[in-house]
Amino acid sequence: MVDLSQRRFKDVDWLLLLAPIALTAFGCVAISTSAPDSGYVKKQIVSLGIGLAIAVVIMFTDYRKIVLNIAPFFYAGILVLLVLVLVVGTQINGNKAWLRIAGFSLQPSEFAKAATILMLARYLSQLRQASLTIKDMLIMGAIVLPPVILVYAEHDTGTTLTFGAILATFFFLGGMRKIFLAAGAVAVVVGLIGVYPHLKKYQQERINVIIHPEEADPRGFGYQTIQSVIAVGSGGVMGKGIGHGTQGKLGFLPFAWTDFIAAVVAEETGLIGILLMLVLYLMFIWRLIAVAKSSRERAGSLMVMGFVGLITFHILCNLGMVVAIMPIMGIPLPLMSYGGTAVMSVFIGVGLALSVRMKRFVN
Amino acid sequence: MSSTNAKDDAFNIELRVYVIQYLVLVVFIALGIRFYVLQVARHEDYQARAENNRIREIPIPAPRGQILDRNGNVLVDNTPAFNVVVTPEDITNREDTINTLVQNLDVDRGEILVELNDPLRPKSQPILVKQNASVADLQWVPAHELEHPEIRIEEQPQRVYKYGKLAAHLLGYIGQVNPKQLELPRFKDDGYKSGDIIGQGGIEAVYDKMLRGKDGMRRVIVDSRGRPIADLETIEPIRGQDITTTLDLDIQKVAEDQFYSKKETGAAVVVNPQDGEILAMVSVPSFDPNVFARNVVSTESRKEVAAIVNDPSHPMYNKAIQGTYPTGSTWKIMMATAALEEGVITTRNSRIVCGGGISVGNRFVHCGSNHGAPDIHAAIVHSCDGYFYRLGLKMGVDMIHDWVTRFGMGQKTGVDLPGELRGIIPSRDWKKRVNPRDPVWKDFDTVLASIGQGSVAVTPIQLIRAEAGIVIGGEFHTPHLFKEASATQLKPVEYYDNKPTELKLSDVTVGIVDYGMWGVVNEGGTAGGVGFPREMNAGGKTGTAQVIAKEKVRGKEHKDHSWFISFAPMHTNQKPEIGVVCITENGGWGASASAPKVKFIEAAYFSKKLGHPILPELVALNTQSKTDSRPGADRKRRPVTQ
Repeated sequence: MVDLSQRRFKDVDWLLLLAPIALTAFGCVAISTSAPDSGYVKKQIVSLGIGLAIAVVIMFTDYRKIVLNIAPFFYAGILVLLVLVLVVGTQINGNKAWLRIAGFSLQPSEFAKAATILMLARYLSQLRQASLTIKDMLIMGAIVLPPVILVYAEHDTGTTLTFGAILATFFFLGGMRKIFLAAGAVAVVVGLIGVYPHLKKYQQERINVIIHPEEADPRGFGYQTIQSVIAVGSGGVMGKGIGHGTQGKLGFLPFAWTDFIAAVVAEETGLIGILLMLVLYLMFIWRLIAVAKSSRERAGSLMVMGFVGLITFHILCNLGMVVAIMPIMGIPLPLMSYGGTAVMSVFIGVGLALSVRMKRFVN
Repeated sequence: MSSTNAKDDAFNIELRVYVIQYLVLVVFIALGIRFYVLQVARHEDYQARAENNRIREIPIPAPRGQILDRNGNVLVDNTPAFNVVVTPEDITNREDTINTLVQNLDVDRGEILVELNDPLRPKSQPILVKQNASVADLQWVPAHELEHPEIRIEEQPQRVYKYGKLAAHLLGYIGQVNPKQLELPRFKDDGYKSGDIIGQGGIEAVYDKMLRGKDGMRRVIVDSRGRPIADLETIEPIRGQDITTTLDLDIQKVAEDQFYSKKETGAAVVVNPQDGEILAMVSVPSFDPNVFARNVVSTESRKEVAAIVNDPSHPMYNKAIQGTYPTGSTWKIMMATAALEEGVITTRNSRIVCGGGISVGNRFVHCGSNHGAPDIHAAIVHSCDGYFYRLGLKMGVDMIHDWVTRFGMGQKTGVDLPGELRGIIPSRDWKKRVNPRDPVWKDFDTVLASIGQGSVAVTPIQLIRAEAGIVIGGEFHTPHLFKEASATQLKPVEYYDNKPTELKLSDVTVGIVDYGMWGVVNEGGTAGGVGFPREMNAGGKTGTAQVIAKEKVRGKEHKDHSWFISFAPMHTNQKPEIGVVCITENGGWGASASAPKVKFIEAAYFSKKLGHPILPELVALNTQSKTDSRPGADRKRRPVTQ
């Protein structure tokens, strides 16, 4: 029964495994040149190791079991952790989103994204009709709502929006009718415009700096965006050399090692490094999509595509923020931004995709 | 998970996966284009901004030049002082910074707001918020470097006026350039910028461009909190030119003591009649310019400054060039000169009746005594008003006005100090203009104008310039303080360019005036009892400037101002080499208050010249330092190397 046979190893999609490892390593280099001390890189490498271990375990587990049997417990457990965060959580940079466990800071909201993807894939895979009914959509909304409420209570706007992106991805994959698609698009636009006057002052400023960069106060809320663009632009084609960036090193970019890690990459390795990074991401996502396409089962496809939606949304928001086409929302760059839980959570997705991949010929 | 190898029944999401795949591609292409735009198309702009971010230019203020007296004694110097500065560029929370400054460093909120709100001030230029940081400040600032990197301690040269109030009106004071000044072409076109410390009075202001030097600069790499991390280059500041003045510290001290020791107010000017060099100039009360040098914005020193500015006795007012007074009888020297030059009186025929006064219209104007019918010499020696009333009527107002104007009355002398006033010399036109109810010039007006009373109002410096010019034979030198400016890396040495105005007077006229003034002091004239040492051969003329009509009851406040103008030596075959004019406010009769002051000032000069004190009161005087040293000789220079 235990069959670590030749064939199984051949079945491993090495590119799908190596691309995220390469991206995390790339991120570690950038973290090492911009973080205050070497502890950050060490923790990130430890997280990569744990993430790989999780991925390998999941890879050799039947993903169908995970989706059907384990997902509800995972989901429920995460909800308990999210409640715990609100009660005994640690506050870092204004967000109360961390649980301190044995010297490690755990960010349950990152795992909550993976759990939600599993639950939505689980529900959707059991449907038999070609398109979603309103009842289906309400049930899916009900799955997303508890983590959304709990994450929103942590004042983590970026992560809250991420759940919206996950839900939208599944609505689309699940066969939402065109009329709903159109209505949804309109609702998003109207919602954004309608919400603007009710946003907090700093949130409005973060949007204004994107629309009117020349009017922004370089000392105010536009500061990070402006400094980020200066970092990117000053990097040029070749970059200033690893460890020779001034924007990140001298502290003009606040928290460069988390949300603005791509600005450090752009400053120190230039357009060359950025293109390498984009290509790695694209290869990673392409492999995920290939796995989704090759899956014999709906559950596998949906689950992997859920991660594709999640990762793409993160990349769009984070890099968009770094190049000043999106407002600052506190969304990290997958695998590269410093943050152990986020890295592990992506590797959960990698493990699941590898598992799907290995089951592609299996009934 | 059933039966066949076929896909699930409703498994038809392939199309949608493709849609997502293309969306991902679009997102990546869009991001790639944006990175290309920033990193390639706009690279140079952002590279410049990144450099600008990390490189800061910290100005190193150039020490101002010293101001010295004619013998090389340093009057104004610089001393290192520690100042608290704030760099606006590095402020993250404005309100927090202001509160911190007000609460912990005792900075005035209003002042700091003015500086912060100044739109002309470059954000990178540090604002001086407190000069002379206390020991507590020197500890507080570095201890709070992390929370407030914008607040720093900077070592800056501070101006020191070594003798406090001494010669304050001449040396002037310094302060920050104000916005109105910056609009003036002479500041705007010469690279002055907001926040600069400039001379705001006296020599400091007039010779600011020589004294200020050129600021240096440190180019440093800073982190995002503005803390210097590494030096790139340092451009050393270039010291300003040292200015040697014509002043003589010893004589200045003696002259000021004359007023302070008697608690009197007034002014005195001591010149060399032959070249216009000012040896001393006094205006009492005075002020301490160090108060201005110490102050910039701290609450405490603002009070000190306000106390000076709002003092009802106006200590900042330089009476020697800004006080205008009737000349009283000192005027008679000009009258006599004019009358002799015009031939109204001659050597042979200069007798005019005194009559104890004169009747003009329905009034009788008194003379101090009845002098019979004196000649011009006796009229000067005894200051006979009756004589000059009648002489004035003979000459007529137009001739009087014409001559005193040629002597420079009612005009600025051009002394190298700011704020000089013209005064008033009455004439027919002047009366028409200022007195429309009684516009016609009358004999009564001429009578008053003949003895320098009525509407005549001139400054002490005008009087000394005019009469010094007369007694040396008609060469009028502009009184001045500038002697020499030292050479620096930027500028060569500069000397005063003397351009006297010639007005040829006959030797006979000058001889009569010269002898008359000598007689005032040495022939039992109006200053005969003052006790001028004979070896000085001093001559002079007393004057009493009427404050209000004699008939009125008056206390000291309303006593007349006492004048004395003197030159020495006179009535010898040498030209006078020292001239002194002195006015003691409310001092009464000319000989009583001012003549003794002049005696000591002249005696101080001759004591130094002769090398021993010629009056017992002057034993404390340093008679060894020469008064007439060559420019720049035995100057105490800063050692170049140690």
